[in-house]
Amino acid sequence: MIVLDRVSKQFAGKRQVTALHEVSLTINKGDMVSIVGPSGSGKSTLLNLVGGLDRPSSGAVHIDGEALAGLTDDGLTRVRRDKIGFIFQFFNLLPTLSSLENVGLPLHLRGWSRSKVDARSRELLQLVQLGQRLTHLPEELSGGERQRVAIARALSIYPPILLADEPTGNLDSRTGAEILALIQDLHTRLGSTVVIVTHDMTVAERCSRTIALKDGHVVEDVRR
Amino acid sequence: MMLLRLISWPYFRKHILRTLLTTAGIVLGVAVFVGMHTANQSVLFAFNHTVDQIAGKTELQITAGETGFNEEVLETVQGAATVAVAVPAIEAVVDTGIAGAGSLLVLGTDMTGDRSLRDYDLEEGDDAVIDDPLVFLAQADSLILTKLFADAHGIATGSQLALGTAMGERRFTVRGIMASSGLASAFGGNLAVMDIYAAQKMFGRGRTFDRIDLSVREGRTIAEAQTELRTLLGPGFQVDAPANRGQQFEAMTAAYGMMINISSLFALFIGMFIIYNAFSIAVTQRRSEIGILRALGATRGQIRALFLGESAITGLVGSAAGVLVGLVLARGIAVTIGALMRDVYGVAQRADDIASDPLVLVGALLIGVTTSIIAALIPARQAAAVDPVQALQKGKYQVLSAGESRVRAVAAVVLAAISVACLFTSQSRLVFYVGYALVVVMVLLLGPLLSLGLSRLLRPVLRFMRPVEGALAADSLIQTPRRTSASVAAVMLSLALVVAFGGMARASYDSIIVWMDGALNPDLFIAPSQDIVIRTLRFPPEMAGELEQIDGIARVQAVRNARIVYRGTPVMIVATDTLSLSETVHATPVAGDPSTMWRETHEGRGVILSDNLAELQRLTLGDLFEIDAPHGVIRVPIVGVVVDYSDQQGTILMDRTLFEHYWHDDTINVFRVYLQPWAQVPDVKARVLERYAGQRQVFVLTNRELKDYILRVTDQWFSLSSVQIAVAVLVAILGIVNTLTVSITDRRRELGVLQAVGGLRAQIRRTIWMEALTIGLLGLILGLAFGAVNLYYILQIVHHDIAGMRLDYVFPYRVALYLIPTMLGSAFVAALWPAESAVRGSLVEALEYE
Amino acid sequence: MSDVKIVRVPLASTPRRAGVWLVVCALLSSLAPHVRAADNARQIVEESQQRTQAASQRYEGVLQVFDAKGKVSDKRWMLERLGSHGASRMVLRFTQPAEVKGVALLVVNHPDRASDQWMWTPAIERDRRIALQDRSTRFFGTDFSFEDLEERDVDQYDYALLGDDSLDGVAMWKIQSTPRQGKSSQYTTSTVWIRKDNYACARIENLVKDQVVRRLNYLDIQNVQGIWTAKQLEMTDVKRNSRTRLTLDKLQYNVPMKEDDFTLQAIRRQ
Repeated sequence: MIVLDRVSKQFAGKRQVTALHEVSLTINKGDMVSIVGPSGSGKSTLLNLVGGLDRPSSGAVHIDGEALAGLTDDGLTRVRRDKIGFIFQFFNLLPTLSSLENVGLPLHLRGWSRSKVDARSRELLQLVQLGQRLTHLPEELSGGERQRVAIARALSIYPPILLADEPTGNLDSRTGAEILALIQDLHTRLGSTVVIVTHDMTVAERCSRTIALKDGHVVEDVRR
Repeated sequence: MMLLRLISWPYFRKHILRTLLTTAGIVLGVAVFVGMHTANQSVLFAFNHTVDQIAGKTELQITAGETGFNEEVLETVQGAATVAVAVPAIEAVVDTGIAGAGSLLVLGTDMTGDRSLRDYDLEEGDDAVIDDPLVFLAQADSLILTKLFADAHGIATGSQLALGTAMGERRFTVRGIMASSGLASAFGGNLAVMDIYAAQKMFGRGRTFDRIDLSVREGRTIAEAQTELRTLLGPGFQVDAPANRGQQFEAMTAAYGMMINISSLFALFIGMFIIYNAFSIAVTQRRSEIGILRALGATRGQIRALFLGESAITGLVGSAAGVLVGLVLARGIAVTIGALMRDVYGVAQRADDIASDPLVLVGALLIGVTTSIIAALIPARQAAAVDPVQALQKGKYQVLSAGESRVRAVAAVVLAAISVACLFTSQSRLVFYVGYALVVVMVLLLGPLLSLGLSRLLRPVLRFMRPVEGALAADSLIQTPRRTSASVAAVMLSLALVVAFGGMARASYDSIIVWMDGALNPDLFIAPSQDIVIRTLRFPPEMAGELEQIDGIARVQAVRNARIVYRGTPVMIVATDTLSLSETVHATPVAGDPSTMWRETHEGRGVILSDNLAELQRLTLGDLFEIDAPHGVIRVPIVGVVVDYSDQQGTILMDRTLFEHYWHDDTINVFRVYLQPWAQVPDVKARVLERYAGQRQVFVLTNRELKDYILRVTDQWFSLSSVQIAVAVLVAILGIVNTLTVSITDRRRELGVLQAVGGLRAQIRRTIWMEALTIGLLGLILGLAFGAVNLYYILQIVHHDIAGMRLDYVFPYRVALYLIPTMLGSAFVAALWPAESAVRGSLVEALEYE
Repeated sequence: MSDVKIVRVPLASTPRRAGVWLVVCALLSSLAPHVRAADNARQIVEESQQRTQAASQRYEGVLQVFDAKGKVSDKRWMLERLGSHGASRMVLRFTQPAEVKGVALLVVNHPDRASDQWMWTPAIERDRRIALQDRSTRFFGTDFSFEDLEERDVDQYDYALLGDDSLDGVAMWKIQSTPRQGKSSQYTTSTVWIRKDNYACARIENLVKDQVVRRLNYLDIQNVQGIWTAKQLEMTDVKRNSRTRLTLDKLQYNVPMKEDDFTLQAIRRQ
């Protein structure tokens, strides 16, 4: 369960920008939630706070009852390790690593043995239907394939929470649809909590709950 | 220029740290250059200053090497038609017994005579320096000190001062004080004047003078005087302007200058790589900016000028700072060089002031700026070649093209072939040096290919060690071969320098030890001065007989050594009983028949040369050897060549009878003493000291002590080079820091992803460390390999052009072994700060970064 | 300096010209017969020299230096001279103070050239030549120079009678002496005052260009064994404004002396 309690986020700079304004939310385990809103509405910031990539200016974020505020950077990393998988708009694959290596990355970082990593990575790539692309470098893959590798990487430990930031934003609509289908499929099969940030309403509509943000406030919270 | 302000300045400001690092490379390089040269110059300047101040208005000086000559020569000179005033002088360097005072240069001059040549700055008007000139002359303990020295040590007229003389420690009475200018400023003020005849006695000089200073009669030219005096005195004398002594001093220390130059050159080269690297990186990073500029209408020329302008400014700022730092360093270095000159060459000199030669400073600035510009040439060309359209797109641009690699490889092979040919086809030194230069160029060409290849080879290893961190570290290097190879090259060059100098040092020590074991086998060495190289104090010949009487002494060899001028170079004469020597010294000669050469030398029918003299002067066995002596010209064949490291410029071994005959000098510098088998070294040493207590100043060195002394001096000789090399390594390490700071910027997103997917800070740090260690490792591998080649060349240079020493090629495994942990440790240290900065900063920004 | 009245005394005879003079002065008239009056400068000098002629001379000198600040230093020496005028030899040995005792100077005069001078310092057991080039330097901190110790022959100078003069009421000839060609001297000319009554030399002024640099006054002129001798000589260094007074004690002429005592070996002996 993800709980946000009066979370605010300001960005310091020449002009102080408030990205989130005392947002309180609860996302239940196993939900598939989309967060929508125009650019600058604070949706990515929200996702980063949930994922522990960033810290709120005030308020508290709890993941499965654990407060992130008290954790060190490495503490946050450990939360991500154990509970969270990330999917990025620009895939963020490491260009010098093969698909297999990219997927294995989080597992290696967790200190898994080579054979276990190898087995799990193959399994995951099979899962995203890239079993035949194991040794390809990202640049040798199409956009959709790259995002699949990224999804496989995010799933590497079968995390209870999957956070996706515009997972289809950099793909054509057909591929985007395929990816979304894949995420949905995984959600159903694995039971993960999924939070997708998107500005694409067709994506949002396929989620059981859609939260709309504007200027840092929750303006709509629709459950389907 | 507008471009510089609008485009470059913001970039510099944004990357202030990297700019500083780059500049630091130049600062250090220039600082070392300026420091070394200024220090060297200061010592030389101090020497010249001392010569000048002592020379006063002297127009010509008459010397016979450092052997001195019979005092009758003075009358001949004073009788010459062209001479106005001629005054004799001797100089001796003595210990004062005052803690921290250092040694005192005692100038013996004729205090009855004409003082028009020297500027004795009398403290209170005319003759007041000396209270009573007659008392001064009548008392053998009379001394004039400089005000500087007197004030510094609380000495007043009438005070007593103990000096180590040939007759033991003697108390002198200060009977005059010179104001501190003119003559009194010579030798940093540590100067004393005494009557020359008293000095002869005190320093065991017999009836000889070191030199005669003279002024030329009005209406006659210096050249006329030179001609007349040369005719009057014969070829055994040098009749030269005082400044000539500075040149001889320079010639004597030429080897040192050469060493400094070689290591300076390398340091500069390394600095060049750091700059090249920095600019290469800048061009890569500012690719899109360049693209925009080009799109807005900047010409290729303007882009090139922009980068060259930046490098010129960086070079100028760095060089200027380097000059300042160098001047500060010079003071410290000068002390070391001064000590070295004293210990190695026996020429005492103190450089209390730094003589900054504007030429060196301007030269350093020029070199700094030029190096900087040259280093930026290739990056600037690359910048100019940026295609505006491609530049605005993302892509790989750091990769070496296959074509370029092939060209490099081919060129390297060609150069290798030529340089090998240079070694084997010609005896010419020029060709040899060209070959050396080509080897360096070849190595530089191959550097990027080799470091790329090695990185690829290492990747599986690294990946095996740490699947994520290792693989990514290797990938970072592989992806950016230019950035990598420049810092690898810097490390490589610095290590090659370390290996070559280390190997040379090792080989020198080995050779010196072999020589010492063979030639320096007496049980005791007895000298009149604490420093065995200082020959200004001497023993009378009768001491040999006295020593033989001492219980426990089996054999005494009297040695007189002195530097003379041979073909314009100062070389060392070693005169002793060569027959006795042959019975005690068991070393195989390099050339000559050991069964006859000693006897021939003993009978005055030949001389034996040291190997290094033969090499440096291109002499071989059987050649007729000519030396102009004060009492005739010696013309004898070279009957043998032996290894002898008594002097860097070479030694001439002759029998003492021959020396006495041609120099009329029977004094002795050192006795080599062999003990009876039953005698105990400490007992005999005590008996010798007891025998001469209160009569003579006698220093007895045991065999071990002498050898330690020689090794200590050898250490000193290499110590400054070590410092210089250490700086070169430091600069190379700065290069690694520089490369890493760029690397973490380039990899910011990648590192962000790693953290996002669960990488702990420790893991992020580790990948940076591994990258640094890999650079270090590549540098090590290439550096040790190139060092092996470099060592060969350095040994050749040492053999043929510096010291004439025949050094065996032995790869310095021990040095290499030390280098591995040192270099990896340094690389690790270099990575600490970049690694820290990699784990700081916003993850969100890193992920969005592009 | 010592040369006292009689001129020939070595020291006094000093400056070459001066020296000569000194000697000369003393002479005065002994040869008088053909001396045709004093209008011939050279003859006056010759006469003066003649009158001081003695086989030998011995005295104990007291040397007092009064520097510009009024500081006084005293030394004593014993002086012996054998022969006179031109070919004389002289040994001067310091006796006081203790620091300088034993230091000796040997001067061998030659009629045709500069004297040879050697110094002996017992502390280092060394003799040294006083080179020609050094003769213009001060004689051990006194106002005499080494050159002033020489005795020269009349023939080495040219003379001109400058006229009559009187010093302290005594009538004098005033004569200019100029070294002849080839004679090297630190002085350009010297002016010599010779008494008309006894041909004793009373004053010498040494000039460089036309400046007086040293002035030697012959004082307390007495007749000693028939020779008019100054018992006190006072040399003034005009530039330094210091003066040196030499007083002659126990002056004797024609004392028996051995040639052997006037050699380098001899002065080393003591």
